[in-house]
Amino acid sequence: MYISRFMAKEPLTATADMKLPEARRLLNENRFRHLPVVDGQGQMLGMITDRDLRSAYPSSVLSEGERIAAYERIKNTTVADIMSVDCVGLTPQSTLDDALLLLDRMKVGALPVLDEGQVVGIFSSRDLLTAYKELFGVGEKGSVLLGIEDDGEKGLLTRIVNLLEQHDIPFTRLLRFRDVENGDRIYLRLNTYKIASVINLLREAGIRPAL
Amino acid sequence: MPLPPKLTLISDSRFLDHDTGIDHPELPARLQLILNNLEQSEYYSSLGFHGTRPAERKWLIAAHDEGWLFRFEEAVLSGKTSVDHSDNQICYESYDVATLSAGAGLTGVDLLEQGTARQVFCLVRPPGHHAERNRPFGFCFFNNCVVAARYWQQQYGRQRILVFDFDAHHGNGIQSAFEREADTLYISIHEHPSFSYPGTGYKDETGFEEGRGSILNLPLSPGAGDEQLLALLHGPVEEKIAQWQPDAMIVAAGFDGHRADEMSGLLYSTGVYEKVGQGVRALSNKYCGGRLLSMLEGGYELTVLGESVEAYVRGLLAE
Repeated sequence: MYISRFMAKEPLTATADMKLPEARRLLNENRFRHLPVVDGQGQMLGMITDRDLRSAYPSSVLSEGERIAAYERIKNTTVADIMSVDCVGLTPQSTLDDALLLLDRMKVGALPVLDEGQVVGIFSSRDLLTAYKELFGVGEKGSVLLGIEDDGEKGLLTRIVNLLEQHDIPFTRLLRFRDVENGDRIYLRLNTYKIASVINLLREAGIRPAL
Repeated sequence: MPLPPKLTLISDSRFLDHDTGIDHPELPARLQLILNNLEQSEYYSSLGFHGTRPAERKWLIAAHDEGWLFRFEEAVLSGKTSVDHSDNQICYESYDVATLSAGAGLTGVDLLEQGTARQVFCLVRPPGHHAERNRPFGFCFFNNCVVAARYWQQQYGRQRILVFDFDAHHGNGIQSAFEREADTLYISIHEHPSFSYPGTGYKDETGFEEGRGSILNLPLSPGAGDEQLLALLHGPVEEKIAQWQPDAMIVAAGFDGHRADEMSGLLYSTGVYEKVGQGVRALSNKYCGGRLLSMLEGGYELTVLGESVEAYVRGLLAE
């Protein structure tokens, strides 16, 4: 599954010569944490985050005089002075797996999405959560997750799917999960309320429901 | 004038006309069994009985989009056997029966407000707590509890309505009706949504905007039983009610948390329902002048459903 369905498209951007107070205003007003920095042609130059800005701003423990002096300097500091330039990006063809692995490895909250160097979107860890929530059907009204013991029987998945389809039982996810500690499981997301009859059907076929 | 009976049951033989076909757990025998069991109970003579009435369109629309009413009626009249999902089985009579089912709450509220009933239990089908504003869900077509709540608010000015739901499944339809408003409160104890239909009712769903705090979901893990249920009832449920101060209380009474009922992984005993009945009666007396209306929701295991409801009724009567 590609990230382009879930990314924020046409994100707000900063320019390299933008002064820090303006960048901070943009982030605060829009409640963003990441702002890609682009040139006049929309080409990615770097990234500036709320954390970069917080570090640039004076600490509240400084004396008033020191703070005023620091604010004066900040007014004249440009985004280019503090942005990260060695940032990695995704592309519209990146998959959710790409994004998951990259967000995890880079330990960042969001990544720019680039199409031939042009910033076309931002993909955040929140977007990833939304995507996986949808993918797994978490919180989907009218569904229930049923666990099944997986004893390694050959053709078990086929038997389960055939049984459900023959009896017109709607289901939308089927997941096989290796769990050395607690025993392997198969998880089914059923989209029906007639759970008791599904459990009976499985039991009659020698298939064991489990948590 | 003699005192009204300690409990008035509202039911109607026409509820049996909602035919869900073969192999469907929500079947007419549920209600027959419940009534037979009550007839044989030692307190039968102390119960009052009253028929239902069709809920007027005005009150159905207070809880549902008119488009859904048209769609439901059309499905029934055109001879369809289900609407929107194969779970929601219907027959030619289903629209009328669902209207009568929703009407029981209206009749019950009238009896309570006129002083001709001291408390009411509507023994109805089809059930209602999964029904959403514009679509049916999980055997439910009209949300009986929400219709009754709107009637109580608008007809009698009881603004602060609490619905307490102890069905094993989360009442998604009641939650979506109440989650954006301050005047209603929904408290539900149910099996954890990661394991149970309808997949909603997580603890962190607490309401939005003005309705923040108007939803209290108390999910139980599979395998939880009487002790956990009663601890919630006497702990967080009562605390929330004491703090919120309702004007009236509706109970969505579902009996599918029984250990014999395979519709959930909860392990309640028959006897716990007596304690729940006592508990909700005491809460209504303490916090909302005894204004209590119970509404039958789920409960599908026929070998224990009758005795479970009977135990609940015994609890309601123990004042």
